[in-house]
Amino acid sequence: MSTTTVELPAQRLREQPPARARAARWRRRLVGWAFVAPAVALFLLMGAYTIASGFLLSFAKWNGFTPTWRWVGLGNYADLLYKDPSLAADLRRAAGNTAQVMVATPLLTVAVSLPLAVMLNSVTRLRAVLRSVYFLPYVTSGIAVYYAWRYVLAPDGAINLLLGSLGLGSLRQLQGFLGNPDTALPTLIVVLVWSSVPVATLLYLSGLQAIDRGIIEAAHIDGAGSWHVLRRIIWPLLRPITVAIVLLGVRDALHGFQIFLITTNGGPGGHTDVLGLMAYRLAFMKGLAPSLGHASALGWLLFAGAVLLTLANARLLRRVQ
Amino acid sequence: MKRFAYAGLIAYALISVYPFLWMVTGAFKTRGEILEGNLLPREPTLDTLIATWSRLHFLDYFLNSLKVTAMTVIGVLVVYSLASYAFAVLDFPGRRFLYWFFVALLFVPGITVLLPVVILEKNLGLLGGHLGLVLPFVNGTAPLTVLLLTNSYSSILRELREAARSDGAGEARIFWSVYLPLAKPAHITVAVLTAVPTWNEYVLTRVSLSNRSLFTLPLGLESLISSDVPSYNEVMAASLIIVLPVIALFLLLQRYFINGLVGAIKG
Repeated sequence: MSTTTVELPAQRLREQPPARARAARWRRRLVGWAFVAPAVALFLLMGAYTIASGFLLSFAKWNGFTPTWRWVGLGNYADLLYKDPSLAADLRRAAGNTAQVMVATPLLTVAVSLPLAVMLNSVTRLRAVLRSVYFLPYVTSGIAVYYAWRYVLAPDGAINLLLGSLGLGSLRQLQGFLGNPDTALPTLIVVLVWSSVPVATLLYLSGLQAIDRGIIEAAHIDGAGSWHVLRRIIWPLLRPITVAIVLLGVRDALHGFQIFLITTNGGPGGHTDVLGLMAYRLAFMKGLAPSLGHASALGWLLFAGAVLLTLANARLLRRVQ
Repeated sequence: MKRFAYAGLIAYALISVYPFLWMVTGAFKTRGEILEGNLLPREPTLDTLIATWSRLHFLDYFLNSLKVTAMTVIGVLVVYSLASYAFAVLDFPGRRFLYWFFVALLFVPGITVLLPVVILEKNLGLLGGHLGLVLPFVNGTAPLTVLLLTNSYSSILRELREAARSDGAGEARIFWSVYLPLAKPAHITVAVLTAVPTWNEYVLTRVSLSNRSLFTLPLGLESLISSDVPSYNEVMAASLIIVLPVIALFLLLQRYFINGLVGAIKG
């Protein structure tokens, strides 16, 4: 019987001469870096320069054509926040509209998608078909569907005709729903809710399917009604999903403006102007005016807003994970 | 109770498809009939679709959209599956920092970097071409894609990796034959999440392309509505042409896509 012991791979590694171990370690590092290299290279090309130059530009005045920037320090930020009356007024109005979108859209999304998911979870027939139908708005969200909405909401569009034929003629909007200052923003919020319900419903549905049916049956046996079950059992269990939906909605409201650009371009009379749209206008619609620094500063204010809101929600976020 | 649920579900299904319904039926109406406001066309005609397709060089726009979308999806899958593999399983200095850095980019609003991207591309001579769209699109999907793919690679049993290693496979081989196939749903989710917004992208495309022959479908649609006498039957026909490929892609991949999305969010 031989006395040689079985050599474990780990031991062998430890007993390697230091030079070889070091070479192996470097090899491992190089392999890791090689895998991330394309992503880092692309970021250095497209991301690093744009973020850095955009940040610097927010402290300068420039119209995009002259060869040099004129440094103004925090001037652009001051102009936007209070110093330049026209910009500050625009900013305040756009911020007010953005805030309304940011509060109303997530709340309404939850209010629509949770009952929808509960109902969808309670039926077996047609579930797959309905799920696909509900998902359509998400898949097609973009310029084509926004034009379809514009058509439906127009003065002689389908919604006005529908209201007329239902005997609700008093609710009709003769300038169209997007043409009336009082209805334009609420209407766009409805369209935004319409396009964010799909993902929210899907997430709630997956959450519902993960809930143990036994708990709900036990509650029913103890005499709890459907409303009670929803309020006391399902709602608390789904809270992490609700938080995720609200956070996504808040982020989208701060970042997104494409629907506003296409459907109303901020009109009528600025009633649907939002911060993203205002930054877009300052950057691309001002011709020779030196407004690029303002656009950049507003972009960074939006970034700061997104970070602050997320930090404020960090406690909630941690509960999600 | 069941009946109540079905009534609610079907009511919302109608709301969900409402604008499509008008889009689809509008595309089959004539110029005169679109003004009447009835939902179903009295004499459905294919003329509007055919005329819109040919009048606006839609074939060119369609091929441009396809090219930009395909290049973006391929770029995203190649670049970020490699990086996410490294973040999930490899060990190298800077790994955690880089990972969180890429994810943190989620908070930079698109509008904040839109202007610098245009300036940069003008300096590099990329502005106005398709590559000038693809590079920022790929870069822009970094946060979400890295998050989803790293999550998905991390959930693959490490024993599989160790087994492949002891069979003599190198990292490239393990990545290619173990991780890629196992993370297929996550890749499909990423592909759909990239393809749909890229196909519909409007803002960067609007400010960077000026040569009509390079236009994508959304710009074609926009030039249709800003032409002298826009008629909603043609606008709806063009919208339908844009939307159909995306719906087809989604229906084809929805099983993987939904599972991948739900799995990714649940982490």
